[in-house]
Amino acid sequence: MSALELQSLLPQIILALGATTVLMLGAWYPSRKWILGGVVIALFAALSAGLMTPAVPEVGNLYSTGSYARFFVVLWSLLGALSLLLSLRYAEIHDLPGSEYCALILFAICGMSLLSAATSLIGLFLGLEAFTLVFYILIAFKREDSRGAEAGLKYLVMGAVATGFLAFGISLIYAASGSFHLPEAFAGLEQAGGMRPLGLAGWALMLVAIGFKVSLAPFHLWTPDVYQGAPAPVTGLLATGSKGAVFASLVPLFAALGPLKADLEQVLWLLAALSLLAGTFAALPQRNLKRMLAYSSVVHMGYLMIGLLVGGSEAHRALLFYLISYAFATLAAFGVLTSFSRVDDEPQEYADFRGLGYLHPRRSSLLAACLLSLAGIPPLVGFFAKFGIIAAALKGGYPGLAVIAVLAALTSLYYYLAPIVVLFMQQRDARQLRRGCRHEYFVLALCFSAILLLGVYPAPLLDLLTGILP
Amino acid sequence: MATWIFYILGAVAVVATAMAVTRRNPVHSVIYLVNSFFALAMIFYLLGAPLVAAWEVIIYAGAIMVLFLFIIMMLELSPGEEADRQGPGALQWLPVLLLGAALLTCTLLLLQLDPAAGQAVPNWYASPRDFGYVLFHEYALAVEIVSFQLLFAAVGAFYVGRAASREKQPGGQQ
Repeated sequence: MSALELQSLLPQIILALGATTVLMLGAWYPSRKWILGGVVIALFAALSAGLMTPAVPEVGNLYSTGSYARFFVVLWSLLGALSLLLSLRYAEIHDLPGSEYCALILFAICGMSLLSAATSLIGLFLGLEAFTLVFYILIAFKREDSRGAEAGLKYLVMGAVATGFLAFGISLIYAASGSFHLPEAFAGLEQAGGMRPLGLAGWALMLVAIGFKVSLAPFHLWTPDVYQGAPAPVTGLLATGSKGAVFASLVPLFAALGPLKADLEQVLWLLAALSLLAGTFAALPQRNLKRMLAYSSVVHMGYLMIGLLVGGSEAHRALLFYLISYAFATLAAFGVLTSFSRVDDEPQEYADFRGLGYLHPRRSSLLAACLLSLAGIPPLVGFFAKFGIIAAALKGGYPGLAVIAVLAALTSLYYYLAPIVVLFMQQRDARQLRRGCRHEYFVLALCFSAILLLGVYPAPLLDLLTGILP
Repeated sequence: MATWIFYILGAVAVVATAMAVTRRNPVHSVIYLVNSFFALAMIFYLLGAPLVAAWEVIIYAGAIMVLFLFIIMMLELSPGEEADRQGPGALQWLPVLLLGAALLTCTLLLLQLDPAAGQAVPNWYASPRDFGYVLFHEYALAVEIVSFQLLFAAVGAFYVGRAASREKQPGGQQ
């Protein structure tokens, strides 16, 4: 480990050390203002990742410092900063300790940035565990909430099992190839005979773990309960950052896969199709916004899986674009939920939203815009994202998946429109105001402009993504 | 010879783990698990990793299992069936005795054949020095990341644990 290497990893180091500093100082000066300090630290990390040119391309054979990795450091830091801003009022009304909360979120961002920069299976494992560990705590962060504790426990138990699968899978791949480093780790698994079965078994175990972390279809059962139980800003970060970081790390992983991908193709096809179908059917009868978003996120993960399966730079670009559009729309949706929450309740059931569109027209329309973007209505960004993925599936020779994806998109209109109908078209019976604060409005405005601007003018982001793809 | 020991140890590990999973009495499970850890430790030793073998015994069979026993004690899990209260019968202690005897035999055989004691240490043998060098040079960054994770795990355990104790006695501490 040389000084140059440390310097190249500066953004992640800022996040990790910032987290510990906030944690330590918070012991002496407990205050919710630390959350604002966390925002500054996250922005600082984003700036350093965006502006600095790293001296070495790879740190310790574990993490890349290339433009792809740095782009995601910027993205996760921004998302983290936004969710910290969202948490300010929420932490106050629910009496959450500021410094611990802020430190945990910062370290979660650090873990995500490490994960999406991973160039070795060890780096992947460590990055993934870094933020999963933090989420176990954050999900159960509200003290008096027994549902939060239940969600945290569910995530912990299932997450621990998934981690076991991941570690075992990685060790089998290592046993087969003798290397953790990415292109080499899959070398030697192509030709028949020898250690190939061992490597494939390792891949199967790894797919189980990955499927759990991003909630792909047979492994998605934890999602609705955890979404429902976790505090709304935490759910926002869990739904966007933690799943996004896994996909961001999978893109280089699958690019390094080479001919081995042909063996995984059927499994990936099945995962994508199952996620699209199971998520859609489970989301249809939901009457709880958080649970509906949970099941719909399973569908979105199915779309992302299509991008991964098709492969090639164009499909990967479509995947990343989809990821970003999904992240902003989802974060804003949970942001609206956060800003609607009061001391005693957090609106989740559709009945809670009845007529809110008349009381709070701006935030309700924003929620509607996010849901429409997730459903893929032009001119919002979700449309172009879905279009890109489906076009890639058609070009890549997966017409079956493209058909399923189109059907899922059409059906999704039903469950995305249902809350909008409740918000605007039902009799007004919400009387009490649900006031937010200006930090929340700022975040919501930013997310909204992102989903609108990217929808109208996606070219700069697409060019950027083309430039950074490995 | 080493191959034979390996297969015996492997069988012991598999049988002991299977027994640990299927026992109804948690303390019996712990005993079988300790057996399995000992077998694993010797397998590591055979593979040329004496440090990992020592850790397996000290950390897993020693520390973690004691922790398990503490937790079982604190949860006051009931022994369950009537037979358990009358003391263990032959069916319950015989398997663990056999496994233990197998482990002891393997240990004695290993002492005779010790791969590390020979003059020419094979190149796959990872001495503690080599191990430490690789861990703190090649994987120094990984060690740092893990230590950060442990710090935040401790913070989380403390936070969640404190929350639980506060919930039990409302108004007690605040």
